[in-house]
Amino acid sequence: MSESAFWNEDWMKIQQSYWENWNNMSRKAMGMEPPKSPLENAMDHWWQAVSPSASDMSRDFMGRMMEQTKSYFRLAEGYFSNAQDSNNWLDAANRTVSDMQSMFNNSLESVYNGTETAGDDAMHKMMAFWEMPMDNWQRMVSSLSLMPGDLLRNMPHQDGLERFLSAPGLGYMREEEGQYKKLTHAVVNYQRNLGEYMKFFSNLGLLAATRMKDKIQDVAESGKQIDSARGLYDLWVSSSEEVYGEQVMTPEYAKIHGTLVNSLMNLKQRLGHVVDEALGGLNMPTRRELRTLQDRLQESRREAKAMKAEIELLKEQMIEMRSLATSQPKAVAETAAKPKATAKKKASSKKKAATKKAQPKADAS
Amino acid sequence: MQPFNMRPDQLAEEMLDYSRKLGKGVENLLNADKIDAGVTPKVEVYSEDKLRLYRYESPADVVQSSVPTLIVYALVNRPYMTDLQENRSTVRNLLAAGQDVYLVDWGYPDEADRALTMDDYINGYLDRCVDVIRKRHKLDKINILGICQGGAFSLCYASMHPDKVKNLVTMVTPVDFKTPDNMLSAWVQHMDVDLLIDTLGNVPGELLNWTFLSLKPFSLTGQKYLSMVDVLEDEDKLKNFLRMEKWIFDSPDQAGETFRQFTKDFYQQNGFLEGGVKIGDRQVDLKNITCPVLNIYAEQDHLVPPDASRALRGLTSSKDYTELSFPGGHIGIYVSGKAQKEVPPSIGKWLDERIK
Repeated sequence: MSESAFWNEDWMKIQQSYWENWNNMSRKAMGMEPPKSPLENAMDHWWQAVSPSASDMSRDFMGRMMEQTKSYFRLAEGYFSNAQDSNNWLDAANRTVSDMQSMFNNSLESVYNGTETAGDDAMHKMMAFWEMPMDNWQRMVSSLSLMPGDLLRNMPHQDGLERFLSAPGLGYMREEEGQYKKLTHAVVNYQRNLGEYMKFFSNLGLLAATRMKDKIQDVAESGKQIDSARGLYDLWVSSSEEVYGEQVMTPEYAKIHGTLVNSLMNLKQRLGHVVDEALGGLNMPTRRELRTLQDRLQESRREAKAMKAEIELLKEQMIEMRSLATSQPKAVAETAAKPKATAKKKASSKKKAATKKAQPKADAS
Repeated sequence: MQPFNMRPDQLAEEMLDYSRKLGKGVENLLNADKIDAGVTPKVEVYSEDKLRLYRYESPADVVQSSVPTLIVYALVNRPYMTDLQENRSTVRNLLAAGQDVYLVDWGYPDEADRALTMDDYINGYLDRCVDVIRKRHKLDKINILGICQGGAFSLCYASMHPDKVKNLVTMVTPVDFKTPDNMLSAWVQHMDVDLLIDTLGNVPGELLNWTFLSLKPFSLTGQKYLSMVDVLEDEDKLKNFLRMEKWIFDSPDQAGETFRQFTKDFYQQNGFLEGGVKIGDRQVDLKNITCPVLNIYAEQDHLVPPDASRALRGLTSSKDYTELSFPGGHIGIYVSGKAQKEVPPSIGKWLDERIK
């Protein structure tokens, strides 16, 4: 990449002027509105310019890094705007945490009723940090289906619809209608469980903000100091991780998690049935048929492998027997050279035969 | 004392410094397109379906052990974790410790492998690999080193084929699947595994990635990318990071029937402790294991908590049971410099003492 590339000039210029502006402003304590952040726009613009030349892996990795960088900057921004009004940094930190708590509080309802709104201020966007578990889920769902992972996220579920779906079908198309009703029911069910999952995480954000406040208090009491935005960010991560770790080990979460996965699978299974029906109608092989074939094939392969192993064993035994047979004359010669031993064996076998013959008599008595 | 000491000029300088590193480091990132892993020379000695059995080449100046060791890796992720790079290679260090190392690579199952069962994997593939090695070396028994889920497979194997295992080493292996700190176990208790497998067929790698990242979402999907900005300028460190990143997301799909049985028998029923695990027509009973056992666990393992591994003590009939702990995490035990200096040589020494 050349020195004149966008990243090396425009990006750094924007960065420099932005942070200098910030610094000057807080030094002068002018009390004016913070500059409208060009940061995220610049970052997005910059990334769009450089990402086409990146490999898939680098692009993915860099995209994740960009998201975190935004969180990191937002936290610093939130803290900084609170600090402008006062020289009391503890107060600024407390206000930052309070802002977070209030954001999480406000978001609870919007998450529940599907009317999420994205504010422009840094603290509001910081909430996106707690969307990471949700974001991971959506990425995974997207990878498993043709529809985007967040397709059903903000779709309010309707009890009236469920009632309608539970009505029995009638007439010639009864079965087909039933299939589609079950599919729609699965969609509604999944969407409801997704809402429960989101609500669970929204609560945790609030708890994490409170935990962060406690941690800041611990830092004060231990005589240590946080001297960087990175330190503040790390504290936020460890608070979030701690709270998350405690809550996802609860029976409540285990149930929410299991229910969400089960409802997604139920939805996918219903979709699969509809697809299979359509394929069957077109005289195309269905997934169900393929799976039957796979099972049968695997069973045949298992048997074939077992037989192959048995044949190998028999071959080995035959080779052993052959080698014994070829060495037999030698064995006979050796036997002939030991007449006494042979005589003893003969005597012994005669004795055994006599015992065997005597046995029926004993049994009969 | 005030908990904060962040002056505006310091903060602005920090942000600017970060931006500078990000801007400059991206060039290394854009150039680092090819990431190699699996560095020690090896020869394929057996293959069957997607499975490959490799033998690693020993250094010329090292006297090899007379009993070879077969590494049995998990079906989850790829086995090159054991041979990630020259200075982070368990395989290389085992070879240096005089061990003759083989490794099973299970490959990437696809939909056609959906019906592979634990019986196919353990009494089929694994048993045939063991037989190949026994035949090559004219031995009745060989050493087995199982890693994570591969360790659980090795325990099953050793209990069903005790006549073929000379020494058993288990690394970060779950035995008690229901310890109170086991997140994975807690999460699968309400999952309908039959519905999952009947629906998906194979379990996609993406689903596993999501599960593992969900164990520590803020550190694993956020903080670590921020930390990497500090090393973006260092080409070698960046490559190390990307190599790990490649491994983490290189998740093969899991053969559906195997996943079904493994999750139900172990994660839900805790089969090693509670019993009742049947693989093919054989019963798994750890009491059948009489050979020496070395059980290695990581003290900060968030995937397989130490108690989950330590539960092995007393479950086998072995009169020679040893535990080795390492202060690190599930992955750290393979990639940290300290682990590489300590763990493989300890394994080598333990094996040598039981072979001479």
